[in-house]
Amino acid sequence: MKLTLQTTQEDHRIAWLAALAIAIHIAESVLPTPIPGAKPGLANIITIICLMQYGWRTAVWVSLLRVLVGSLLIGTFLSPTFALSLAGASASIAVLGLASRLPGIEFGAVGYSLLAAMAHMAAQFFTAWLFFIPHEGLLRLLPVLMSMAVFFGLTSGIIAHQIIVRIKAGR
Amino acid sequence: MFKRADYVVIFFALLLLPYLYVTLWGNGSYGEQVTIRIANQPPQHYSLYDNRRITIEGVLGDNLIEIKGGQVRFIEAPCQNKLCIQSGWLRHDGELAACLPNGVTVSVSGRDNRFDAINF
Repeated sequence: MKLTLQTTQEDHRIAWLAALAIAIHIAESVLPTPIPGAKPGLANIITIICLMQYGWRTAVWVSLLRVLVGSLLIGTFLSPTFALSLAGASASIAVLGLASRLPGIEFGAVGYSLLAAMAHMAAQFFTAWLFFIPHEGLLRLLPVLMSMAVFFGLTSGIIAHQIIVRIKAGR
Repeated sequence: MFKRADYVVIFFALLLLPYLYVTLWGNGSYGEQVTIRIANQPPQHYSLYDNRRITIEGVLGDNLIEIKGGQVRFIEAPCQNKLCIQSGWLRHDGELAACLPNGVTVSVSGRDNRFDAINF
């Protein structure tokens, strides 16, 4: 019996974008970091592009697929790393969902990216604090981690903006 | 490139960062109590707000310690290096000065201790 799966154009688009995000996610995971939990989060760029070009639904799919497949390929599925990653991704999607539905307020790529990066970091940090390292000392890391989130949030936002400009110009 | 709402987000993000640094990296609170520990003796506690001079008899000789206006310091020590005197005034919760040759340490503690333990 031959089973054919009906796929829509949106399915294909989600698969392509998720593949791109996963590639960035994995490339980034081999970068050495000075502080645990500090990494650029460039896959955020893809999430922002999804949100602004194809809507929040696509962004949710791409983001969750990235976390799931990324962790399977790196080998951290269901480990603390995965929990942190999932918490961060869920929080940033939730914040993006809220931000894109605010009546009368329109964010650009930079605003979305910054909000997503900060929500991601905050959720990750408090997940780590509540479940893995419930020690007051961890709070001392928060200013540094949040600074990195703001810096990389701005950077990915600017990159996302440039990409969207080029997509719209049809290049 | 930036929308108006983006500037609002950036503004609040840049406001949040200094706030985090100040609240989480702040200098700690002022101490309230002085604890003097002498080798082989129970620790002695004094309020940081009673001005007084205390003479401590240690292993080598006498240490003179002064508590004044919410601060405490070593004034005299029988040792060679005088590291304890060079530590100067201690006022913040968790600060500590030691005259190891004489077996005497002075530490300041507050309402909630800032550190569980300190290694040198």
